[in-house]
Amino acid sequence: MGEAKTGTGASADGLVPAGSPMPEAGLETEVAKLLPFLEPGARADLQAKAVRHVLARRCCGAGRPGGRAPAPARDAAHALVNLAAEPGLHEPLLEAEPALLARLLGRALDPEWPWAEEAAAVLANLSREPAPCAALMAALATEEPGESGLERLVRALCTPDYNARAPLHYLGPVLSNLSQRPAARTFLLDPERCVVQRLLPLTQFADSSVRRGGVVGTLRNCCFEHRHHEWLLGPQVDILPFLLLPLAGPEDFSEEEMERLPVDLQYLPPDKQREPDADIRKMLIEAIMLLTATAPGRQQVRNQGAYLILRELHSWEPEPDVQVTCEKLIQVLIGDEPEPGMENLLEVQVPEDVERQLQQLDQQEQHTREQPEELAPEPQAEGATPT
Amino acid sequence: QSYQEPHRLGCGKDKDGCTLWTRICPYSEFEKVPLFMKKAPSEIDPNENPDLACLQSIIFDEERSPEEQAKTYKDEGNDYFKEKDYKKAVISYTEGLKKKCTDPDLNAVLYTNRAAAQYYLGNFRSALNDVTAARKLKPCHLKAIVRGALCHLELKNFAEAVNWCDEGLQIDAREKKLLEMRAKADKLKRTEQRDIRKAKLKEKKEQNRNEALLQAIKARNIRLVSEAAGQDEDSDSEGPGELFLDGLSSENPYGARLTVDEQGRLSWPVLFLYPEHAQSDFIAAFHEDSRLIDHLMVMFGETPSWDLERKYCPDNLEVYFEDEDGTELYQVAPKSTLLQVLQHPRYFVKALTPAFLVCVGSSTFCRNYLQGRKVHQVK
Repeated sequence: MGEAKTGTGASADGLVPAGSPMPEAGLETEVAKLLPFLEPGARADLQAKAVRHVLARRCCGAGRPGGRAPAPARDAAHALVNLAAEPGLHEPLLEAEPALLARLLGRALDPEWPWAEEAAAVLANLSREPAPCAALMAALATEEPGESGLERLVRALCTPDYNARAPLHYLGPVLSNLSQRPAARTFLLDPERCVVQRLLPLTQFADSSVRRGGVVGTLRNCCFEHRHHEWLLGPQVDILPFLLLPLAGPEDFSEEEMERLPVDLQYLPPDKQREPDADIRKMLIEAIMLLTATAPGRQQVRNQGAYLILRELHSWEPEPDVQVTCEKLIQVLIGDEPEPGMENLLEVQVPEDVERQLQQLDQQEQHTREQPEELAPEPQAEGATPT
Repeated sequence: QSYQEPHRLGCGKDKDGCTLWTRICPYSEFEKVPLFMKKAPSEIDPNENPDLACLQSIIFDEERSPEEQAKTYKDEGNDYFKEKDYKKAVISYTEGLKKKCTDPDLNAVLYTNRAAAQYYLGNFRSALNDVTAARKLKPCHLKAIVRGALCHLELKNFAEAVNWCDEGLQIDAREKKLLEMRAKADKLKRTEQRDIRKAKLKEKKEQNRNEALLQAIKARNIRLVSEAAGQDEDSDSEGPGELFLDGLSSENPYGARLTVDEQGRLSWPVLFLYPEHAQSDFIAAFHEDSRLIDHLMVMFGETPSWDLERKYCPDNLEVYFEDEDGTELYQVAPKSTLLQVLQHPRYFVKALTPAFLVCVGSSTFCRNYLQGRKVHQVK
């Protein structure tokens, strides 16, 4: 399965601007002047200074009624997002402006900041790489006591109108990226708190695939913690129905089959849609697959009727690679129990010699794939005439 | 009597507290001490219990500050609460609130405690009002939030219960009661949503079933009469037929309804009336392709108890139906199938239950019954 995956980043095109622009002369021109410095080709230190200035600008619109964001300032924010999408720029950017992450975080979590979505998008892009992600975790930890930064982030993500001017969908991918780190997962999966439970309904958040994807990615990463599987599958969290629901369609099961499903999946209306994004569907299946790593987990997943849902999904699924993933999970659910010692597939020790053999095979496969096309002979039809 | 002066009793928050008392007075004496009596303050007769009355007047002295008075009422209410005398607890807390003291903490506690008492009395809405008032005074009062969530749970407002738990968890993220309640309320909410979906689906299926039945009736050109409206529904009219759909859903007084089998054939609940003896027979499911005589053979295989003259035999029986106004009669051949009769242009099914009149052909009754009425013969 590999490590917890990186989340998706953001492009400025995907962002909805905060509102229609209402120009205000002086500030406008100043911010407009900064725009060239935000281009990817510009000098890193100048970029950093430009970034600092953009962020330092208190929203011109914030004080005025209606709070409209001026166009150049918005463009600057968008430029920043695109900048942050370049992985090569992360290091120089952060070196030149070490407080960048903290400031972006402040903006993203500020309920009054109209460009909070853009700030979150920048964070989403930056946190894809391990170093900035670690730095972001550190920045979150240094928030004031009372409510930790991470807690505030989750709250901002889960509260519908946290920021009246910014939807904050990109906090989803931010959280997803953060959940690659064990410390984040520890917080999310704290059994004495109610954190992961608040994320679960967001798997059905219709208005944004960015948010949905971020949440599902987070949940998937959390499922790597097999010590928490029993709790996750138990009544305190009850994660499985929330993972299965987006995968379920308007199937008309028999009364008997229906009673085997979790309540959330029973008697779904005829207009029930499945998750439209194939990547998210794949992540959901992967999350469930992770939950089947231990024998008790497998049993729980089986008992909660996952097979029925996956069977229907398999016959509907248009994407081949998602279908394959689905097939693999079905195999695990209907297959025989593995031999003793193999119960936790995440902890299985691969013997050294087998490990070496597998590595050799991998290398060979890689090698053949990298060969130029000419080696594959063209089929020669003898005496065939094209029709 | 080895207890101290009354006024020391009133504010007896000695650091030794009760221990001091056991040393001085034996347990039986304890009971005699006014403050430890288990009687309600209102039940005290000053003549019988002058000490207690004296104590009362000190404790509830109007000259004390509102805060002190309110606090005393709070303590009194708490005592009643411990005794599970929730009604009296409510009264005490109410008195405390009436003092309108300026201490918001005290008032918040009074509201919250009253809410708890109301909760145990089953007055969940009153309890909710109280905790809402408590929260207005002290937004972070966790006990009020816990109580509010409990009330919403009892009132089956599961979504609200979850919201209140979330609000409480924002104040104390590890509050165990709130964590438990939230999980419980969330599950109940989702179960309720399932029940709604299930009911909706069932209703839809029922509706489809009824529409199919109505279609089947229309296809057969059978005329229906609604008892309620008193109007007839022509099978080829454009009328809505909703009245009949309702009738199809509900069972008739005999507990039977029109059904369709896998081959698409209908079975009706049918009434046979015997006007001579004011008797009747009810067939719960009369298959439309079965003949009247088949049923009559079964029903009259043995002589019914009311057939004193023993003349009601399948061969003797004549079957009639009345037209819509009940004025004219139509005689049907017993060998007809139900469907054939129902399809007769003058047959109107009332209340979705076809009815027939049966009497013995050659009998005096029958002749008298038919006299003066127009009788048609159905081929």
